[in-house]
Amino acid sequence: MEFDPALFIDLFARTFTFWWVILPAIFLGLIVGAIPGFSAANTIIILLPMTLAMDPEVGLIFMVALYASSRMGAGIPAILVNIPGTAGAAATPLDGYPMTKQGRGQQALAISFVSSVFGGLLATIITLLAMPWLSQVAFYLHSVEMIVIMLFGISLIATIAARDTLKGLIAGFFGLMIGYIGADVVYETPRGTFGFLELYDKVPLIPALVGLFAVSEAFFVIEGESILSKRGKEAMQKAGWAATIEGVKIALSKWWHIIWTSMIGLVIGVVPGAGAAIAAFVAYQQSRAFSKTPELYGTGHVEGLIAPESANNGVTSGTLVPLLVIGIPGGATAAIMLVVLQYHGVTMGPDLFMESPELAYGPFAAMAVTYFIMIFTILPLARYMSRITVVSTIYMSPIIISFTLVGAFVPRQYMFDMYLALVFGVIGYVARKTGYHTAAILIGVILGPLLETYFLRALKMSEGDIMVIFSKDLANVLWVGLVISLCIPYAMQRWRAWKAAA
Amino acid sequence: MTENNENTDKADKNSLGGDLILPIAAFIFTLYYFYTIIDVPRIAQISAFFVGIILIFLIGLLAIRIGREVKAGTADLRLGGIIEPRSFIPKRLALLALTLGFIIFVQWLGFTLTVFTFLSLAMLLLGNGRNKGFVFAIAGILSFGGYLLFIVAFKTRFPAGPFEQLMERLF
Amino acid sequence: MARTALDNWEKIMFDDYFDELDRRRFLAGSAAVAGAGLLTGLPSAEALANKFPSRNIKVYVPTREGGGADRNLRAFSSIWKKYLKVNFEVSFYPGAAGRVGYEKYMGLAKEDGHDLLFGNMGPEVLNWVVKKPTFNVADLVYFAQMDRDPGIIFVGRKSKFTHIDQIVAEGKKRTIQVGVSRLAHPATLGVLALGRHTGAKFNVIPLSGGKNTRAGVATGEMDCGALPSGGIARRGKNFRILAIFDNTNPIPDKIKDAVLVNKHFGMNLPPLIAGARAFGIKKSVIEKQAHHFKILKDTANMVFNDPEYREVLKKTKVPMALFTKSSSPEEIAKYVKDITAIGEQYRDLLTGKS
Repeated sequence: MEFDPALFIDLFARTFTFWWVILPAIFLGLIVGAIPGFSAANTIIILLPMTLAMDPEVGLIFMVALYASSRMGAGIPAILVNIPGTAGAAATPLDGYPMTKQGRGQQALAISFVSSVFGGLLATIITLLAMPWLSQVAFYLHSVEMIVIMLFGISLIATIAARDTLKGLIAGFFGLMIGYIGADVVYETPRGTFGFLELYDKVPLIPALVGLFAVSEAFFVIEGESILSKRGKEAMQKAGWAATIEGVKIALSKWWHIIWTSMIGLVIGVVPGAGAAIAAFVAYQQSRAFSKTPELYGTGHVEGLIAPESANNGVTSGTLVPLLVIGIPGGATAAIMLVVLQYHGVTMGPDLFMESPELAYGPFAAMAVTYFIMIFTILPLARYMSRITVVSTIYMSPIIISFTLVGAFVPRQYMFDMYLALVFGVIGYVARKTGYHTAAILIGVILGPLLETYFLRALKMSEGDIMVIFSKDLANVLWVGLVISLCIPYAMQRWRAWKAAA
Repeated sequence: MTENNENTDKADKNSLGGDLILPIAAFIFTLYYFYTIIDVPRIAQISAFFVGIILIFLIGLLAIRIGREVKAGTADLRLGGIIEPRSFIPKRLALLALTLGFIIFVQWLGFTLTVFTFLSLAMLLLGNGRNKGFVFAIAGILSFGGYLLFIVAFKTRFPAGPFEQLMERLF
Repeated sequence: MARTALDNWEKIMFDDYFDELDRRRFLAGSAAVAGAGLLTGLPSAEALANKFPSRNIKVYVPTREGGGADRNLRAFSSIWKKYLKVNFEVSFYPGAAGRVGYEKYMGLAKEDGHDLLFGNMGPEVLNWVVKKPTFNVADLVYFAQMDRDPGIIFVGRKSKFTHIDQIVAEGKKRTIQVGVSRLAHPATLGVLALGRHTGAKFNVIPLSGGKNTRAGVATGEMDCGALPSGGIARRGKNFRILAIFDNTNPIPDKIKDAVLVNKHFGMNLPPLIAGARAFGIKKSVIEKQAHHFKILKDTANMVFNDPEYREVLKKTKVPMALFTKSSSPEEIAKYVKDITAIGEQYRDLLTGKS
């Protein structure tokens, strides 16, 4: 797995000649990423007969491009209409949507695109350079370590509702309890399922996601003419290309922020099964913890948008690492890529880097080129995409409701899931109207089951000894890091107050 | 996020009844959850008990906080924010009924017809019956577009209704 | 149905996309078969009304689309429809380890022989040991078992263990962490039985699906794993199979150094077949519509003997030796009885009530 510059230059040059595959894949990825319930993984399955018919290299480039752009696509509805297309984008609306409401939708999109592209690009390059080391991550981050990483994300619920911490915590813990619905992962005993078999496998994510965010939003916004505030609408009508350029400038000025949040995504992405949602939440939490202005998060703060977007794009190349190095896919999309590669007789594992480095490094080259092409193709669209926010709620609300209910149905194709989305819609509506944070509930619903899975696994391994959570050195380092990152905002606040007084 | 309870009730007293809806629901749910895990292995109880007890504790704190405000006369237990603005209550309930209708009827009407009917009725409801032609056109385009995307292209197994069956027979 | 792609949602396990791929692959092949079926001539509507089957066969599958059951079902039905002269309509009801599909079948299926179930008997029968379903288990009868894939114990290629004896010896000194797909699974029962017999301490850790189990073993969090043989044998470069819970090695060309647990340890376990996919039908059909069931059974036997069927199976890329060449109701009944019995023995461990 040595670094050979000539190989890489050759590889990149070659990948660029496949622009005709990458371009349609990018647009398809944007569309499926933006529709809740759809994603790169199931699109690739639908297109599998076509992908398999392609030359292995072309097929691989197509899939990688689709994967990378769908990640970006999921951020678009999250920012513009408060509907994350996938769980990975669930942290994006926290600051993206407030920006839209202020009429800065176009700017927010530009910021999101730039941080996605650069976060993704950077993570890809680092992956290429550091593959031998990165591939070791999965050997160290086991259940116990993952418990602490989950807690990084979950600790967001304590800080997310800065205006009323108690209500934020109630919302978050309520979410955790909802996330615990279903059979436990060890003995499969159903818990809190109200007798529904459909809830045995935990609360399905997309119905919860679209219910809490989209359906409740649709019921909420009908009071106004559009989702924009009055001033936002004026700003929106005035906005020209300048807003996109402004967004690019803002994002680029936060280059350091993009770098380190994308690295969080990369490292978490390398762990099989962890994924984009946890990466986005952890990045957001860390970004806030080390910010000089934590109180601005949630009000349309640029860093709050950059962190999740560059992190979830950092995940994208990360999930390919375990796939290529140990033959274990890091996520759903990587799993399907494995199928296609194996179909063509490519065996994953360390040998691949020796036997056919162009195939081993190919996906990363394709990803880098995709991100590069996206800069020029997607960015100019921000202006037109953001127009959707001026559409009257008379039309917007019914469209959101009908198409997100469809999205709730798609993953499992149970009617039950549409009812569930409506139930979550009602919960979300009540939460919004009474000052509880819907995102805090969602964090609980998403991360609760993951936390419990790792926790129960660790507990089963230690045969019930709860002290197992402090049994690993690396985990203990992470525990210290968690405590520090929780204390920092408070300490910094005190420090500034002290400095101001002095 | 769009929490805005602070500007919904400008009366003398803060109406905090609405604030209790979610905690009460959470409390009842937590008790129900505990009831379902009384008899399960310890490993399946442990994290839920931990989280549930914290949740109940937090709800207790909130109840005390609200209780104090009510006692001090700065707040009352009217529903407040959740039903404001009152003029929108009928519309919202009607939209909720339409949404429920969507889910119920989609089993017989199928994807396309249900989406069309829902979009038309909901848009007419919210727009007070204005722009009928435009509404039907938009609903028609979206439902047919959705049919092409979800059923034809993505092969989603949405319940097939008369429209889908007709199309299948035709093509 | 569960073509779910909620990226990163832990619960959605794309644990065997190979299967999905294989399915797609042989679809092209089965198109030719379907064409052949058309040439033989479909019976007229009039004839259909008088005989069985008079409408399409509806199959309830309790796992997700694209899984092993889907793959096998498509292979079997592509030939079976030639003999039954009707098409197959398949619905997938994944969830709760198969419970959803079984409950739906027992609740919704008509009792005229046109509605069938197709599932993996081993793990699904063990569901009822752990927690009774709402229906009477005896009201469902399996027939036409398609495959026979035994449970195995495997390690990662880089593991220090190269023989099962080493694991057992180490297990007498410390607890061995064994990754399994779920507790109620034939392969898990094998591990528990081996531990009880040898005195080695095996701690089985359910990792929710084959993909996660392989990951747990590959990343070194687990000392070894226990799964059906097929998926591991196919990944021979990354894993090594050390023990087989069956009385013969079904694929000696792929599994080279593994021991047969019964023979090696002098045990008397029934074959712990982890992949045992078969059709299920309501017992009431057999009782009330005996001749409908006879047609189903006889035509299914014709499928087993059809050379075209072997061709379709080859395209699935699963080692041919893992598919059965025939299927007798007695054998199936014995298998279900054996698995249930051994499940009952370890019931406390499976349910955590010990």
